[in-house]
Amino acid sequence: MDFLRRYRRDKVGAYFGAILLLLYGVALTAQWITPADPMAINLNEVFAPPSWRHWLGADQFGRDILSRVILATQVTVKITSAACIFAVLTGVTIGMFAGYRGGWVESAAMRATDMLLIFPIIMLAIVVVVVAGPTETGVIIALGLAQAPQFIRIARGVTLSVKEELYVEAAIAAGAGRAHILAHHIWPNISTPIIVQATLTLPVLVLNASALSYLGLGVQPPTPEWGQMLNEAKDHLITAPHLIVGPAAALVVFVLSANLVGDAVQETLNPKLKKQK
Amino acid sequence: MTKLIVARLLFMGPAALLIVTFLFALFHLIPGDPAVMLAGDNAPRAVVDSIRQAYGFDQPLHVQYWRYVTKVLQGDLGISNYTRDPVIDSVFPRIVNTAQLAILSMLFAMTVSLLLGCISAMYWNRPLDKIVTVVSLLGICTPVFVSGLLAIYFFSIYLGWLPISGMSSWRHFILPVITLGALQAAMLTRMVRSCMVDALGKDYITTARAKGASEFLVVFKHALRNALLPIITLFGLGLGHTLGGSVVTETIFNWPGLGRLMVNSILTRDLPITQGAIFFFSMIFILVNLVVDLIYAWVDPRIRYD
Repeated sequence: MDFLRRYRRDKVGAYFGAILLLLYGVALTAQWITPADPMAINLNEVFAPPSWRHWLGADQFGRDILSRVILATQVTVKITSAACIFAVLTGVTIGMFAGYRGGWVESAAMRATDMLLIFPIIMLAIVVVVVAGPTETGVIIALGLAQAPQFIRIARGVTLSVKEELYVEAAIAAGAGRAHILAHHIWPNISTPIIVQATLTLPVLVLNASALSYLGLGVQPPTPEWGQMLNEAKDHLITAPHLIVGPAAALVVFVLSANLVGDAVQETLNPKLKKQK
Repeated sequence: MTKLIVARLLFMGPAALLIVTFLFALFHLIPGDPAVMLAGDNAPRAVVDSIRQAYGFDQPLHVQYWRYVTKVLQGDLGISNYTRDPVIDSVFPRIVNTAQLAILSMLFAMTVSLLLGCISAMYWNRPLDKIVTVVSLLGICTPVFVSGLLAIYFFSIYLGWLPISGMSSWRHFILPVITLGALQAAMLTRMVRSCMVDALGKDYITTARAKGASEFLVVFKHALRNALLPIITLFGLGLGHTLGGSVVTETIFNWPGLGRLMVNSILTRDLPITQGAIFFFSMIFILVNLVVDLIYAWVDPRIRYD
């Protein structure tokens, strides 16, 4: 509650937080609020311009673009949330274990992480898709694994500094096992920086998910996704430029809100940052 | 310095071996018989068998691995499933095209971000600074495939000024370079601004002003020189990001670069080309990282003498 009270003081964060909540609401209720069937092909309305019937027009198969943008919001939210959870779970597990165990396990894990951090996230994601396949699950694994190194680094850093604390030593003396210490004494310290990193990661995940599907390596048609809709729109740029408006606007607004919310969450949980600005 | 260079160059060996190991693992990680994958789905049995023998897929794993590593070391990354040309021949010309795109974009981004970042810091918290901040934020949130499509529609289709795709004249460079560069410029402007705001708040700036130095000198000599250290690192990281962004940019503008080759090879399931593209991309990233580290050590004596 204290968090919400402090978060609300940030006007920009509160405003875009509301927009982001609205987008998540749209995603959760997508099946019920689409004005038309997003998959229904209607060859009489191919490239129909925006009208009262189709607010954003119709695409090359006469499908209602607004309905497809709404369903794509759900697809994006589903993929990015799952990828974020996957990245946090793998990253935190490896990072905490490496930091706590130390020794060669730690140096091997960190060398590998350092090497992965050299590569841009989209590259790592593309390489994983080669193996995992361009399916929903494949994209989730790809994006999650590509983001995991960031979480490994943070989790390991905090673990290193916390494991020397007296209360950890006390827990060891009291006979607590490694798993118990990691879960009850180390994890509570890691949760805040991990939450901050997770919110900062969200816009990156959205951008990369749509980039993958723009390249044809993401979710496959007919399931709509913003990047994939833009890729299809490119082929009809001369005859039907209105095809790009809906998915482009949805994507930019989502990423913008997620970015500003991420900044606001970071400043709320870490007030020192604000003073530096 | 020499010691540092040698140490970092030695690191490249194991890194390259790790990448080749991963490329080898791809044969077995991707579901299906690797020999069939390399021969194509409808290849006759004899062809599949000859490929299986050539790669040694009928041998134990360590024999296959050794065979693959020695082949790669000799510059043989296999032949394309479709053109039947050696992978090296298809990949090499593409590297040059990608390098041209990435380097020009980065130069554009560096110029724009240094200029806007400094201006923004000079007019800190005033309307001009606010405008730059909002524009760069919007820039960060707009992926290349949105800005690229808008640019193509406006400049190529609506105004008819610039070509849509390809790279046969200098006019073909304008849209891809600016689209890719603008995204980098947006990211870098924010960081240059914060570095400069930081530097302009230091005591030596007050001293310089008290001496009566002109505002131009204060910003571009006293502040910029001191802010340059973090900025150089950012530019180095930016080059990596630009190379990552080039994959999407090349696809939008039909740029015959390494990124588009890689994406197309994945879509057409041309594994040897995919492996070749991954290999060269990885080597480029490792090399860029190395150069950035060395420049950093060269600029900052504290690192050099440690």
